Amino acid sequence: MKKPLLVSFLLLTLILGACGGGSLEGEEVTITGALIGSDQDGFRAAFEDFTAETGIIVSYQGSDNFEQEIQIQMESGDTPDFALWPQPGAVVDAATRGYLTPLEDLGIDLDQYQNDFSSYLVGLGVVDGVIYGGANAANLKSIVWYQPAEFDARGYTVPATWDEMIALADQIVADGMNPFCFGMYSNGASGWLATDWMEDIMLRTGDGVDSYDKWVSHDIPFNDPMVKNAATLLSQIMHTENYVVGGTDAIVSTYFGNAQDPMFSKDANGNPGCFMHRQASFITGFWPEGEQAGAGSITTVFPFPSIDPSLPAAALGGGDMWGAFNDRDATKAVAEFMLSAEFYNNVAIRDGNARLSAHTGFDTSLYASPINKILGDTIAAALSANSFRFDASDLMPPEVGAGSFWKEMMNLAVEGPGYIDTALDTVEKSWP
Amino acid sequence: MKQQTQQEKLKTIGISFLALGFFPLIWFLFQAILFRELTELISRNLLVVFALIIGSTFVFLLFWGMDKIIKLSPKDNRESLEARMFAGPSLFMISLFLFYPAIRTLYISFKDRYSNDFVGFENYKWAFSDPEMLVTIRNQIIWLVFVVSLVLFIGLIVGWLSDRLNKGEAFFKSIVFMPMAISAVGASAIFKFIYEYRPPPLTQIGIINGIRVSVDRLGTQCMNNRVIDGVFNGFGDPNCLKPIGWLQQRDLTNLPFTENLNPDGFLSSILINLPVNTMLLMVIMIWMFTGFAAVVFSAGIKAIPTEIMEAGQIDGASELRVFRSIVIPYIKSTIIVVGTYMVVTVLKAFDIIYVSTRGDLETNLLAVKMLDEFSKYRNFGRSATVAVLIFVCVLPIIVGTALRERENTQS
Repeated sequence: MKKPLLVSFLLLTLILGACGGGSLEGEEVTITGALIGSDQDGFRAAFEDFTAETGIIVSYQGSDNFEQEIQIQMESGDTPDFALWPQPGAVVDAATRGYLTPLEDLGIDLDQYQNDFSSYLVGLGVVDGVIYGGANAANLKSIVWYQPAEFDARGYTVPATWDEMIALADQIVADGMNPFCFGMYSNGASGWLATDWMEDIMLRTGDGVDSYDKWVSHDIPFNDPMVKNAATLLSQIMHTENYVVGGTDAIVSTYFGNAQDPMFSKDANGNPGCFMHRQASFITGFWPEGEQAGAGSITTVFPFPSIDPSLPAAALGGGDMWGAFNDRDATKAVAEFMLSAEFYNNVAIRDGNARLSAHTGFDTSLYASPINKILGDTIAAALSANSFRFDASDLMPPEVGAGSFWKEMMNLAVEGPGYIDTALDTVEKSWP
Repeated sequence: MKQQTQQEKLKTIGISFLALGFFPLIWFLFQAILFRELTELISRNLLVVFALIIGSTFVFLLFWGMDKIIKLSPKDNRESLEARMFAGPSLFMISLFLFYPAIRTLYISFKDRYSNDFVGFENYKWAFSDPEMLVTIRNQIIWLVFVVSLVLFIGLIVGWLSDRLNKGEAFFKSIVFMPMAISAVGASAIFKFIYEYRPPPLTQIGIINGIRVSVDRLGTQCMNNRVIDGVFNGFGDPNCLKPIGWLQQRDLTNLPFTENLNPDGFLSSILINLPVNTMLLMVIMIWMFTGFAAVVFSAGIKAIPTEIMEAGQIDGASELRVFRSIVIPYIKSTIIVVGTYMVVTVLKAFDIIYVSTRGDLETNLLAVKMLDEFSKYRNFGRSATVAVLIFVCVLPIIVGTALRERENTQS
């Protein structure tokens, strides 16, 4: 499966030569996306060997206002060669409006692509049976951060099931502490953390991925008993007295990036503010300075506990997907390279990298930080077993996924368990 | 003035067509083709330099050429043609970049989300029935009423008082004016730190919460996580005040003093439901513009002849009476101008919301909502509708200003 880097480049140049494409030396390919800061440096570094080999200059420009800018660029026709969207829904949207080039026209071997990235992931970038989106990176959300040393010192064990987690939480409350960190304020996107919880619970209750897919595609209504059950379980975490440090006020008011900070601060008795924090892998980037250095060594993760034991282990995640705006030869070459297993080689070896390849054949031993290897292996295994699912709120229509679902989760946190029915009915009504 | 002959009239029409229509068109096409070819030939950086040099030369050529053609016309008509020559390009630019987009926005507001089909007044129905839109409109009204009146009121008082200062007036005024020099984004960032919230066991870095949790209450000693003589002092005791996420409060129910209020009483229910976060965001804008208003008012007050003021004082009018009966009427037009400016500024208010809350928890304003509909929900029809709403709100002010201008020039 794993080919040496050089051979793949030679092959690539051979193929290009055979196609009569001629030399692409000096051709420029532009990519825009939402990756900024160290992610941007990593993404640029991914192309270093490729440029040395083929002479194609790939210039990536990230912007934290990318999604608005690309809308304007598409409307005006002034597009880059590629856009790397942080969620596949935007790729489908752009393809529906006729801006994107199908991968087939880029000379991509579609069977190989489906095989490498799993048919589920590929299926997220499909419009009317035509594949438009190229999968790139994935991240894992079904993880709970904890500090093993604090658990060991108090004789707590890592919970494998929801009931064990609740029992552990009750134990921690009985010991006079707070089990969970939970903060979901986020400028313009407040509430998404609770939607992530809902999704993780949905994947592990009802019919697992089947009912999850139906929920996403609105084949079951939003106020279905299965969804209500998930909301009830979430409300148990949010509203049980002393479960969340700071109570519901903190859930609504705490910026998600600061939410885990109580875990790192000890009170007068040496107890941390909280013991468990369910958050995606990128949260390490928000940790306080000192904790970042040893990201994943002192504070590490356990998988989100299973709820219905009859269902297979599932993983919730997100990921980036690119779309191409033309089929120039240089664009084709870059597209092919981005879909190769080697694409993330230069990214993975960087210190502080938090991006994980979505290619199931990627060599996870290359990841510089040990936690990335754990996460990468989990993602690859879940993708191969078809139990990896995308963030539902990213896949729902934006009025729901980026609107009412978020808002009603905020309201639910404020109003308490009695509000569950109203919240779900409101979301159902807002579905376009 | 001698009667123009038919021939001269025809000649003038022909020349005005040549000078103001045909020649600029040729000029434009030539330039467009030239730059299209240049884009292929030379690199981007060089192109920018070229565009600057050639572009400015071309503007010169345009007026030079038009002038040459106009010179051919009969002498009597030359003046009006020259006037049109200078007004023409700016009128053209204004219609291209202002009127065309405005009309097109209005047109799009009657179409569906991707501007494919007409949907009639569907988007306008949505604008006045969607709960989120209603909250946005409510906020916009609160902002208009309170920000404009408070800026004018505080500005007047500060302007009047600064005028009474014996020394240090310039220093005082420059301090008051200072917030105006800070961008709205910067001001919002500053205030975000003032309102900052951290979950309870953590040290509060926001100044308001920092003070709040340090208040000793009911005989309990509370401190913002300070270590004194090796002893850790926190605010974990249930008697201590809890920090509050100020920008996340939609009402006052989290503040201890409202516990004793009767939620059914008319006045107290209004008080309890006061949207704290919106109020606190308005403080940012009031803080920014009060100094500006004060400086403008102070200049207006300075222009009042001292004789009138002295006459009033000699007649025994109190300070308040002088202020009400002399100062206010004298600077009435200044107040109207500053008020107009503030109304337009509030209707356009975007950066404060965008930076601080991004419209979450019922703090949204129309300008941010417009962008949300465009980029977040990708609904161009609704986005255009919100834009039209803002435009309709600004329209009476534009008309009013224009009417007042005309009155001024006539009188």
